[in-house]
Amino acid sequence: MSIHDFWTPFSLYPFLNALFIGISLASIFFIAALGLTIIYGAMGVINMAHGEFIMLGAYTTYVFQQFLGVPFLLCLPIAFIVLALIGWAIERGIIRTLYQRPLDTLLATWGLSLILIQGIRLIFGGQPKYVAVPKFLDFQIEANFIHLSGVRLFIIIFAILIGAATWFLLYKTTLGVRVRAVMQDKEMAASFGIDANKIYSITFAYGAGLAGVAGALFGALKTLFPDMGSGYIVEAFLVVVVGGIGLVGSMFSSGILGELSSIFSYFTNETFARFILFTLIVVFLRFRPQGLITEGATRR
Amino acid sequence: MNGNLYHNRKAQWAIYIVVFVLLALVPFVFDNPFNLNQFARYLIFSITAVSVSLVWGYGGILSLGQGIAFGMGAYGMAATMQMQFQDPENDPIPTFMLTNELEKLPLVWEPFWSTPIGLALALGVPTLFFLFFGYMMFQARVVGVFVAIMTLAMLAAWYSVVYDMQPFTAGFNGISPPNAFEIFGTSIDPYSATAYWICVAFLVILTLSTKFLLGTKFGLIVQAMRDDPERARFLGYSVAYYQTVLFTISGFIAACAGILWVMVTQYVSPTSMEIMLSISMVIWAAVGGRSSLLGAIIGAFLINLGQSYAGDEFQQHWLIILGVVFVIVVLFLPKGLTGLFESILGKFSGNKNGADSSTGQNS
Repeated sequence: MSIHDFWTPFSLYPFLNALFIGISLASIFFIAALGLTIIYGAMGVINMAHGEFIMLGAYTTYVFQQFLGVPFLLCLPIAFIVLALIGWAIERGIIRTLYQRPLDTLLATWGLSLILIQGIRLIFGGQPKYVAVPKFLDFQIEANFIHLSGVRLFIIIFAILIGAATWFLLYKTTLGVRVRAVMQDKEMAASFGIDANKIYSITFAYGAGLAGVAGALFGALKTLFPDMGSGYIVEAFLVVVVGGIGLVGSMFSSGILGELSSIFSYFTNETFARFILFTLIVVFLRFRPQGLITEGATRR
Repeated sequence: MNGNLYHNRKAQWAIYIVVFVLLALVPFVFDNPFNLNQFARYLIFSITAVSVSLVWGYGGILSLGQGIAFGMGAYGMAATMQMQFQDPENDPIPTFMLTNELEKLPLVWEPFWSTPIGLALALGVPTLFFLFFGYMMFQARVVGVFVAIMTLAMLAAWYSVVYDMQPFTAGFNGISPPNAFEIFGTSIDPYSATAYWICVAFLVILTLSTKFLLGTKFGLIVQAMRDDPERARFLGYSVAYYQTVLFTISGFIAACAGILWVMVTQYVSPTSMEIMLSISMVIWAAVGGRSSLLGAIIGAFLINLGQSYAGDEFQQHWLIILGVVFVIVVLFLPKGLTGLFESILGKFSGNKNGADSSTGQNS
């Protein structure tokens, strides 16, 4: 490996393409992190099993598509519902007893992720599985400097849709007002008659459901492995940590992280880009530990 | 004797000494080299659990990045051992570098020609890194889950570098130095009782000095910070300073474990920096009892023993068992097995406040 293989010099069109890949990466980060942000923002719970929820979403899609012949687009809401139910059960069973101990929730959910990975491996085996890409997404955009597959375009569009839907839910409905009230001050919200525990259940289920949708989408993009979740989890955490706990924060931070990681990968390579990016984030948090945008909520 | 026997200082030191003597006597009972080597590995894992117990159980800092120090120490040691094998005149370049088309020994590998310098780097670099990294985090008053995430991200970053820099680190395959470690003219066979006793010695020295440190004023301030960082700050203590020092010490301990690991296995690969290993260290400490150094040691020992002897039909289910045990411990036994032991002893000594000790919750 000489320095010339390592350092790619600048040239305009490939660089513009890298920027485009950055948008695609950003949309993936955003979808992966959205559920995590909402759960963390509302409950102060770091859900280490989030990556495994994504994995379960992908396997749900695989099962419904392969064995029941459900079309891909219909698998997205199914994955949402299945994972929301699983998330609801987990919140009731495990998370609920640990609200006073945030670090312990992190550990308990990590134990849970071990169980999920190995459970799926026992059921489906360790071999890769595939989610069939529907016909209408099986195209490639080739214009000038842009190379973009249909699935990636779909994910970008879907990221916008899902962000808008979550925004609507949080800011335009009564439920959203309640969730935001609990986010800002649990005790105060409770004294106004909001059932905080119920809000927690709903938020966790919604976050898990979002992970399910993310899994369904990523399944179309990549092969399915029982431990595929770990490939998303670190980046998703970083989006949350950099963005702060709000929706807008995650949008910005996933955009920035996606673009930066694509630009760094363009000049060096993917692993090195990861290293530089992670180090930069640590330095960034040194100066702004609360993240980009805080929305006036209490920091936990 | 009044109060819970668990909190009796003399009794504590006594039980530490009993356990260490028992560990030191193991080679007289099992003289099977394979078993001895296995036990040495458990001891090394115990050392990592001690480092977690120190930083998390006593300092309230949940570090998921102990593998950074462990891996750096291990790679430093592997480089030292590899260069002991290489001949400066005829064969100066390790084979894996040649297959990766390096014609010259990279500059970072040069210092490892000398064993003392190699060892100093293997311990010094991770310790300095933890000092710097800890300073960055704790100066910014990063706390709680954020520390966990940042250490995790840093670990993932290092993992990908080690994995990717194939000409320098042999990438995925890892480095396996052909000869056993040589120091003061003697070669230390990894399957010998000597290697085992070196591990015991490290464990004893590191654990006892940590325990001693925790009994000093420094240790008390650290524990006060864990229970209420705000109050400690108002009392005029620089929380960031104490946290940084504690974090650095734990990095040093984990680096010692990394060195021993390569001495005993003659092998290092990126697995040493995998997330799984670092979180396993936390599991060991949590199951044994995070707020007891001895508990962490016993936890690491028991879990690894269980993993090795669970039998082949259990191997497939091992991760599930581990996950379930871990979730149960976190939910119902936040102070681990030693916490259980503490409350049982508390019942016997008539002190009903058995569980009401200085070990508060982390927040």
